[in-house]
Amino acid sequence: MKVTIERANLLKALNHVHRVVERRNTIPILANVLLRAEGGDLFLKATDLDMEIVDRVPAMVEAAGATTVPAHMLYDIVRKLPDGSEISLETGEGGTMTLRAGRARFSLQMLPDADFPDLNAGDLPTSFTLPSPVLRRLIERTQFAISTEETRYYLNGIYFHVLGGERLRAVATDGHRLAKAEVEAPEGSAGMPGVIVPRKTVGEIQKLLEDPEGSVEVALSDSKIRITVGAVVLTSKLIDGTFPDYERVIPKANDKILTLTKADFERAVDRVSTVSSDRGRAVKLSLSEGRMVLVVNNPDSGSATDELAVDYEAEPIEIGFNSRYLLDIAGQLTSEDAVFKLADAGSPTLIQDQTAEGTEADALYVLMPMRV
Amino acid sequence: MSIRILPDHVINRIAAGEVVERPASVVKELVENAIDAGATRVEVATAGGGKSLIRISDNGCGIREPDLALAVERHCTSKLPEDDLSQIGTLGFRGEALASIGSVARLSILSRHAEEPHAWQIAVEGGRRSETVPASHSGGTQIEVRDLFFATPARLKFLRSDRAEATAITEAVKRLALAHPEIRFTLSGSDRTTLDLSAARGESGALERMAQILGAGFRDNAMPIGGEREGVLLSGYAGLPTFNRANSLQQFIFVNGRPLKDPVLAGALRAAYSDVLARDRYPVLALFIDLDPADVDVNVHPAKMEVRFRDPGMIRGLIIGTIRDALAREGFRSASTGGLATLDALRDRAAAGSFTRPPEPGTSPAWRSWADPAQTVAPDVSSAAYGASPEAEAPRPAMAEAGFAEALSAFAVLDRPSADARAHVQPAPEHLLARPLGAARAQIHENYIVAQTGDGLVIVDQHAAHERIVYERLKAGLEGRAVQRQMLLIPEVVELPEEDVGRLLARSDELAEIGLVVESFGPGAVAVTETPAILGRVDAPKLVRDIADDFAEWDASTRIRERLDHVAATMACHGSVRSGRRLRPEEMDALLREMEATPQSGQCNHGRPTYVELKLSDIERLFGRR
Ligand SMILES: Nc1ncnc2c1ncn2[C@@H]1O[C@H](COP(=O)(O)OP(=O)(O)OP(=O)(O)O)[C@@H](O)[C@H]1O
Ligand SMILES: [Mg+2]
Repeated sequence: MKVTIERANLLKALNHVHRVVERRNTIPILANVLLRAEGGDLFLKATDLDMEIVDRVPAMVEAAGATTVPAHMLYDIVRKLPDGSEISLETGEGGTMTLRAGRARFSLQMLPDADFPDLNAGDLPTSFTLPSPVLRRLIERTQFAISTEETRYYLNGIYFHVLGGERLRAVATDGHRLAKAEVEAPEGSAGMPGVIVPRKTVGEIQKLLEDPEGSVEVALSDSKIRITVGAVVLTSKLIDGTFPDYERVIPKANDKILTLTKADFERAVDRVSTVSSDRGRAVKLSLSEGRMVLVVNNPDSGSATDELAVDYEAEPIEIGFNSRYLLDIAGQLTSEDAVFKLADAGSPTLIQDQTAEGTEADALYVLMPMRV
Repeated sequence: MSIRILPDHVINRIAAGEVVERPASVVKELVENAIDAGATRVEVATAGGGKSLIRISDNGCGIREPDLALAVERHCTSKLPEDDLSQIGTLGFRGEALASIGSVARLSILSRHAEEPHAWQIAVEGGRRSETVPASHSGGTQIEVRDLFFATPARLKFLRSDRAEATAITEAVKRLALAHPEIRFTLSGSDRTTLDLSAARGESGALERMAQILGAGFRDNAMPIGGEREGVLLSGYAGLPTFNRANSLQQFIFVNGRPLKDPVLAGALRAAYSDVLARDRYPVLALFIDLDPADVDVNVHPAKMEVRFRDPGMIRGLIIGTIRDALAREGFRSASTGGLATLDALRDRAAAGSFTRPPEPGTSPAWRSWADPAQTVAPDVSSAAYGASPEAEAPRPAMAEAGFAEALSAFAVLDRPSADARAHVQPAPEHLLARPLGAARAQIHENYIVAQTGDGLVIVDQHAAHERIVYERLKAGLEGRAVQRQMLLIPEVVELPEEDVGRLLARSDELAEIGLVVESFGPGAVAVTETPAILGRVDAPKLVRDIADDFAEWDASTRIRERLDHVAATMACHGSVRSGRRLRPEEMDALLREMEATPQSGQCNHGRPTYVELKLSDIERLFGRR
C-alpha cells in the first residue's frame, strides 16, 4: 500500500475513528486502526468488537492495499505534524509502515489486515433518515439518565422505539430517575423493533451529529444499528435485553401542580446544597400556597434554607429529592418555567417544560423522591 | 465379600490416623495430658523431627499402677467422671491419644503416683502391650515415643523433612505454652536449640509469656483486651494495627484453654480490624475465650482444632466489639517500633553505604549531602536491602564514621530547615511537651510535622493523619443518625432461597434504619424499593445477597455499615488536607491535639503509621552517645 494524503483530511478521519479504540487492550490488533487504500480513497476503520467506525477520505493512491497500525500513536503523530503537511504512508518489508511528512519520518509496527475483526452487521431491515439536530436532541435529553450500574445491563443505554407508528421515542433510566423524549416518527421507521443503544455508542453517535444542517441515515435490525453521517459509518451491537415497561412508572394522576421559574429554582437548589458535603444529600422542598421553602440539613457542617415564590395552589406537601438529580433535570429543560406534577412524598414526581395550552411537552422527566 | 468386624489392631490404626497425623500431634496430645495432670513443669525433647524420639516428662499427679494398663487402651479416660460430654473441663476427654500412639509407635510410660510406693512402667509396641513392671522414677510421668509410624509405613512417607516436623513441634508447644504461663516449659533435643520458657505468674504473667513467644516487641505494641457478654469472658492481648504481619501465624485464640484454628474466629478478627488494616495484613494477638463448657462443643474435630459454639453470632460480636473498643481507646498509639525501625533502617543504610561505597569526599552520597544539606538524599532502597545481608550487619570501626555521616544526612532535614520549614524560635510550651504527641516545632517538605515531646521527637505524616481524623468524624456521623434513603423508580427484584427471604423480611426494620428497604415479592424473592442514598447507584442484588448470607451465618450483618464506612473513607481522602499544604504553627498543634483525641488515629486506613516517634535515647544512640 502506498498513498499520499493531506494532513487535515487524515486528522479529521482519525478523529472520528480513534476514540473507539480502547486504551488498554488484551487483543493487540484492537489497538490498531485498519487502513485500506482503494480507488481514490483511503478507508480507516477502528473497532472495539462491540462498535466499529469507518471513515473515508480522498487520497492519492499509488499502490492499493491494506494494513493496520497502532491507532492512538498514528493519531498523535498526525496531530503533531504541522498544519498543511502532505503525508505519505507506505507499507514496507519487515512489518513496518513508513509515514513521511516533510523531513519527518516514522515507522510503525504493522499487524496483518486479514486479522482485523469485522462486526458483520448482516441484514438491517429498518432504515430511515432524520435531520441531525433531531436525533441529537433525542440523545441529549435522555443520555444523562443512562445507568452505569452493570447488573441491570439493559439500562446501560437509550431505548429507542416507535409508538403507534407515529412517535419515535427515546427513554433512559437508572432506577432513580427516568428521561423520555420523543419526535414525530420519520418515514420508514414504522416497523422498527425497540432497540437499546449502548452508552458508549450513544456518545459516539452524538459526536457525529454536530452539523446543524446535516442529516443522518439510521439502519437497524434487532441486534445491530448502523448510523451514516456523510462518509462516516458507525456500526454497533445493541444491548441484548428487554427494557422494562417504563410506562408503568410514569405517573398519570399526579394532581399537585407546581410551576416555577427554572433559573431561580436552579440557583436556589445550588445555593442550599452548598452545605451538603457528600453526594446523595437530600434537599427538602416544603410547598404551601405560592411558596416553596428549600432546606438542606447536614449534621456535619450545618444547614441551609431558602425560599422561592412559586405557582402552587394544592394542599401543602413536604418532599425530598437528591439535589444533584434536581439540577441534572433542570439543566435539560428548555422553557423558562418548569412544571412539576406531584402526588405525595413517597411517589414519583413528574417534571417537564412549560408548554402552550393544548400541546404536549416533547420531553418528560420522572424523579423518585428521597426519604428524609 | 462378606462383612466382618475388623480386628482391634486395625481399628486402632485407623483411629490413630485421625488423632496422630504427624509428630507434632503426638507432642500436642502428650503435653495436653501433662497439663491435665496438673504439672507445673513440662519438659519436651525430640530427635529426628520427632520421628525417632519424643520424650515428655512432667511433675503432674502420675498414674496409679492399676490405671497404667487401662490408660493405653482405647476409650479409657479418667476425665469424664460423670460421662457428661457437655461438661468438659480438661483438654483430653476421649481416652484415645495414648492408645492411638501405642498402635503406631513404640510407646513407653514411666510414672509414679504419689500414693504408690515406687514407679511403674508399661510399654506398647505397634499395639501390643507389655506387662506393667516396677521401675524407679522420682515423681510425675515420663512418656517416650520412639519410631513413630513404624507400624504404618505409608504414613511415614507423607511426613515432611525433619526440620519442618521439628518446627511444627515447636509451634505446638508454643501454642499450649501461651495458654499456661504458670507452667515452665522446656523444649530441647537434637532438633533445636533449647527453648526454656520460665513460669510467669500473676497479673503480668500472660503478657510475659506472650513476649517470650511472640517477641519482646509485642509487650510494647499490645493492647490489653477485656470483655464480657452473657457470661462469656474474652481476655488476652491484641497487637496495635501497625504491629502487623503478612500471615495469621502469629494469631492465637484459645477457648477454655484449648488452642484453636477456627475459621469462624478468624473471620471475627478480620472484621474487628477491617478498617485499620489492609485485607492482606494480620494483627498479632493472643486471645482467650472462657465460657461454660456446656455452651461450646469441643467434640467436632479429630484433633480438637475447631469447636462449635452454641451462639456463634454472640461470640463474634463479643470479639469484634471488644477489640474495636480497645482500638478506639488505644488507637492513637502507633507501633513503638516505628522509631526503632527508623533507626535500624538508618543503621543498615549506613553500614551498607560504607560497605559498597567507601566515603570519598565529594562523590559518596553521604558526603555530598553532609556538605550540602539542601540536596536531599533519596532513600536508597537498594543499599538498604543490601544492608540487610548478614555481612553488612556489623560495620568495622573504620566505617563507623561513614555510617555516622549517612545517618546524619537523613536528619539534615531536621538540622537545617528546608525552604518551607517553619521552626519556632521560642522554646516549646511546657504543657504541650507533656502531651503524647508533643509541641509542633516545624513543618518540613510541606507534609511532615516535626514535634517535640518531653523525651524525644515525633514526625507526623499530616495527610495520613488528617485523612484518618476526617474518616473517624464521618463514621461517627453515620453512626449517629438514620441513613437517608433514595427510593427506586423501578424496584429491583432479587431472587433468593425461601429461608433467606424469611430472614431478610424478619429484620426489615433494622435494614431500613441503615437505608435498605426490602419488601416481600412472592415466596422466592424480595423487592428492593429504597437504598442508602450515600452509596449512589448500588448493585442492590449483590448487596442483598451478601446480607442474606451474613444473616444466615451470623444473625447479623455489617455489610452496609462496611460499605458506608468505605464511602466515608473515600470521602475522607478527598476532604483531608493534602500533603503539600503549609500549616501554620497553630494549625499543626491543633492537628496533633485532634490526633490525640481521635480514636485509632495512630494509623491510616491501611495500617501504616501516621506518625513515628524517636525517643531521646534513640537519638542519642544514633549519635553514638550511648
Ligand atoms: N502425663 C500424665 N499424667 C497423669 N495421667 C496421665 C498422663 N497422661 C495420660 N494420663 C492418664 O491416661 C488417660 C488416657 O490418656 P489419653 O491421652 O489417652 O486420653 P485422654 O487424655 O483422657 O483423652 P484424649 O484422647 O482426648 O486425649 C488419661 O485420662 C489420664 O488419666
Ligand atoms: Mg489426652
